[in-house]
Amino acid sequence: MPRITIDNRTIDVEANTSIIKAAERVGIYIPRYCYHPSLSIVATCRMCIVEVEKAPKLMPACSTQVMDGMVVHTDTEKVKSARKEILEFLLINHPLDCPICDQAGECFLQDYYMDYGLYHSRFRQEDKIRRRKRRIIGNNLVLDNERCILCSRCVRFLQEVTKTEELTVAERGDNSEIDLREGKTVDNPYSLNLADICPVGAITSRDFRFQSRVWFLQRTNSICTGCATGCNVEAHHRNGKVYRLLPRHNGNVNGHWMCDFGRLSYKVLMSESRVTKADIRVNEGINPGNIKDVLKETIKIIEKIIKDNGADSIGVMGSANQSLENNLALAEFARKSIGTKNICMDFPFEQGIKDGILINKDPMPNSSGARLIHTANNGISIDQFFSLLKAGRIKLVIVSGNDLYFFREKLSEVLSDAPKPKIIGFMSDMSNFPWQVDCILPVPTCFEERGMFINYAGLLQKTEPAVSAKDGIKPLWELLNEASLLMGKSIELKDRSAILGKLSQTIKEINGITYEKIGEKGVKVL
Amino acid sequence: MAEKVLFKNINDPKQLEIETCLKNGGYNILKKALSMKPEALIEEVKKSNLRGRGGAGFPTGMKWSFIPKAAPRKYLVCNADEGEPGTFKDRVIIEKDPHLLLEGIIISSYAIGAYQAYIYIRGEFVKGARILEKAISDAYKNGFLGKNILNSGYNLDVIVHRGAGAYICGEETALLESIEGKRGLPRVKPPFPAQVGLFGCPTVINNVETLAAVPAIVAKGGDWYAGIGKGKSTGTKLFSISGPVKKPGVYEVDLGYPFKNFFEEYAGGMLDGKKLKAVIPGGSSTPVLTAEEAMNVALDYESLQSAGSMLGSGAIIIIDDKTCMVDALYILVRFYHHESCGQCTPCREGSGWIEKVLHRIEKGKGVPGDVELIESVANNIMGRTLCPFGDALAMPVLSFVKKFRHEFIDHAAGKICGRAVARA
Amino acid sequence: MHYSFSDNFKKKAEQLLGIYPQKEAVIIPLLHELQRELGYLPDEAMDALADYLKVPPVRIKGVVLFYTMFNRKPVGKFHIQVCRNISCSLMGAGNIIDFLKKNLGINEGETTADGYFTLSTVECLGSCGTAPVMMVNDDYFEDLTMDKIEKLLKEFKNG
Repeated sequence: MPRITIDNRTIDVEANTSIIKAAERVGIYIPRYCYHPSLSIVATCRMCIVEVEKAPKLMPACSTQVMDGMVVHTDTEKVKSARKEILEFLLINHPLDCPICDQAGECFLQDYYMDYGLYHSRFRQEDKIRRRKRRIIGNNLVLDNERCILCSRCVRFLQEVTKTEELTVAERGDNSEIDLREGKTVDNPYSLNLADICPVGAITSRDFRFQSRVWFLQRTNSICTGCATGCNVEAHHRNGKVYRLLPRHNGNVNGHWMCDFGRLSYKVLMSESRVTKADIRVNEGINPGNIKDVLKETIKIIEKIIKDNGADSIGVMGSANQSLENNLALAEFARKSIGTKNICMDFPFEQGIKDGILINKDPMPNSSGARLIHTANNGISIDQFFSLLKAGRIKLVIVSGNDLYFFREKLSEVLSDAPKPKIIGFMSDMSNFPWQVDCILPVPTCFEERGMFINYAGLLQKTEPAVSAKDGIKPLWELLNEASLLMGKSIELKDRSAILGKLSQTIKEINGITYEKIGEKGVKVL
Repeated sequence: MAEKVLFKNINDPKQLEIETCLKNGGYNILKKALSMKPEALIEEVKKSNLRGRGGAGFPTGMKWSFIPKAAPRKYLVCNADEGEPGTFKDRVIIEKDPHLLLEGIIISSYAIGAYQAYIYIRGEFVKGARILEKAISDAYKNGFLGKNILNSGYNLDVIVHRGAGAYICGEETALLESIEGKRGLPRVKPPFPAQVGLFGCPTVINNVETLAAVPAIVAKGGDWYAGIGKGKSTGTKLFSISGPVKKPGVYEVDLGYPFKNFFEEYAGGMLDGKKLKAVIPGGSSTPVLTAEEAMNVALDYESLQSAGSMLGSGAIIIIDDKTCMVDALYILVRFYHHESCGQCTPCREGSGWIEKVLHRIEKGKGVPGDVELIESVANNIMGRTLCPFGDALAMPVLSFVKKFRHEFIDHAAGKICGRAVARA
Repeated sequence: MHYSFSDNFKKKAEQLLGIYPQKEAVIIPLLHELQRELGYLPDEAMDALADYLKVPPVRIKGVVLFYTMFNRKPVGKFHIQVCRNISCSLMGAGNIIDFLKKNLGINEGETTADGYFTLSTVECLGSCGTAPVMMVNDDYFEDLTMDKIEKLLKEFKNG
């Protein structure tokens, strides 16, 4: 293993490691624009050049491989001077857009200028090249050629990651500009990653445009619940409002990327299909009420059906969209408080990445987790569930997510010649739900609640609340615990430690699990 | 003066036709080469100390020896992009003795084990490309190309591939990118073309003149070639000379020949009424020499390096005393700005910046500090770029300003000489 | 607007695809061929080439915009390209350029109203020994003088 000394720190690294990566390992950050750990090396920005003893000139750290005995200096006057000079070149034709540029506060030009620049400009304004600005290059992206420093990260991402190649560098010399074929916009499912990797404000998100200055935003680490991949995210929020999701690096899940669908999924918090109030349908009329009252009415309906038709006439459906904690509570409620054996939490979605990048064949985030609860509770299969429905033996269905949307054809076929049961829904969002619900009780979205999810590869991860749920909306497990007490058949899940205890008891794969153990990168359980 | 190596038959107007070429001894050496082992050929070229004639001057035999012998697919590429201002020597070989070049290509391809060779010829050389196509076709017909050449068991196909107008494609890795159908952007090195070249395979890229020298080396031996020239600058070189001289053109002389003699005997000295002021000795990318410096230097790699310049492509540009050096530099900087590929920061931004400031200086609209500014910018480009183009841009700027500083200072201060020829 | 290749072009394309080991290597030769037929490279032809080779259309665009010999707009019957680099400038290219501008009545980059002449300046053409030099379509014209040029323009005009 070659041994390299960087700024008097020595480390052994594998052959074919670049200086920039070796430096990272000893905690030294080398400034860069074109280098990105997940893209090819082009060594064109020249910002990462460092002093290598015995080399005749400064060498780019991203493309120079470590050789045994190499001695590198990244903080000498020569190197700092070079960085200043490269910055000068980048800034001569760069517009003074900072006051209106979304990138401010997370801009590589601003940051490095504060670290290495701080000089008086020698460039004359009238020499400055003007370029096209505010070009809409897709549903999600705006391109500003004047701000662009031609690091080519965007071009390489579209060539190497999505392989859709919508962008190129057009022309040459300082006429170079990022461009596309007219009419062929950048609208692939991963387009917003370009706004992440653009080091400056050349490519920005239309969704986030002018929404907030980044230094006002707080960050919460969480995971995306848009599909079974479970990309790691950072939710950026302020005063109870989420402004954007950014991918958080996890080498075992999503690398540096996430898909646009997941990235924009935070919009559920503001969507019209969001459930914010409890509703109960009585004789064709809707009676909104406070959660407590509606819950009481709901329990009355449950108890009546148990009395009239027996506990087994109630079917309880878990949700692959819900956390382990909530599915556990629902199963307990089904068994202990209702006493039915018709519990279904097994959704047969095919698992695995379907596009070679990140999007999963399974559109739900917790199929694996829900299945664990299902098995521990001897649940019935979804086919059996549909058979019971078709035979008219289910008079009431309790659901906790919109999983049935993915079985809607089968569902409508089953219900075409069977009487429609009553539906009680504990939902955060009503979009895509293919059934008319009789009682709705609101529950928090994944952005408002801590929850455990197991992805398609058996990795247990957790969501964390970025904002609090509003208006007395409580997590499903808490609501069910309350309901169970009202019914006189407690499920004994009064707090999270009770839930963790019950999970450990019920599912051997997650025995002894705690939120700390899951941490920021998750833990493999299956 | 030793015998002509490259221009032996250049004065025969029918030399490009295969019948004449054969009568003059064409392809005789090929027979000999194909009977030798490839390693022996490489050894001869190494002994000759032949250096790349395109401008970089890298030892050819060494370049060939970097090719891994066991690699299944290798390529030879002939660099006929000839774009360095002042250089017009390769065109003469291509248009007047194409078969000499082909013979050199075939021998060299055989030596490195390539079965396909490309001639990348600049797009503007339409006539040259046509002549090469015809010569190649005739070579196939006569069994010098194709399968089982001269019953040796060796196969070779040669393809003429035209460029489309980009000086940067004369840089060997940009050239490979261009053949591969991409924008001509130089590649990061390492890996070098000998490891990862054309289509990902080990590749040798040699200049036209370099390849055209190979037959003579094979015929008479590397030692013979090394005996010509001066010190480590062996063999002969084609020098293109242009500007206000009596006999501009391409002439072959032994390396080490004194510039003064070359200038007076071959180029006939200055045109009447003109005096020598400055000489760019090796193509626009090489540092300029004053008349005095030039008159005291020999035309070889080491002498020119000692004099603070380079042999480069051997393109001698003569500048007379009525020429404004500010304007002359402006013309060159405008060229580099136009041809910059735009990949790396210093060259992309610096070339435009220098052009703009220099334009103002030339027009007498400079501000104090402008001359120091272009020097500073050129220094910030030097040694910082991905390929030698950055240095090629910086060296003329630094040398012109250093050696003719007073002209730049005067112009910047508003005292223009009014002799600009550039139409900007 | 969909562009259909000529039979000649299709033949040439197939021939080239049989020679080069990677299909993308035929891009520049085929762009030359298209320009030879059309005089310039309209968007539809570029898209058709992208479609034919199964590469993204923006790839072809990037290549066309990089190289100066590719015309993005139609040019006159005679594309006059005068070298403006050092040796030619030293030998009078500036005067040649002025003369052509005056004679043709157009500026650099423009085409005469009758569509006969387009005037451009270019960088070193590799013929410095016979400076000043210009290229008209595929041919070099060297050792230029005003008289020579005047005669040439007349010849071009008269076909």
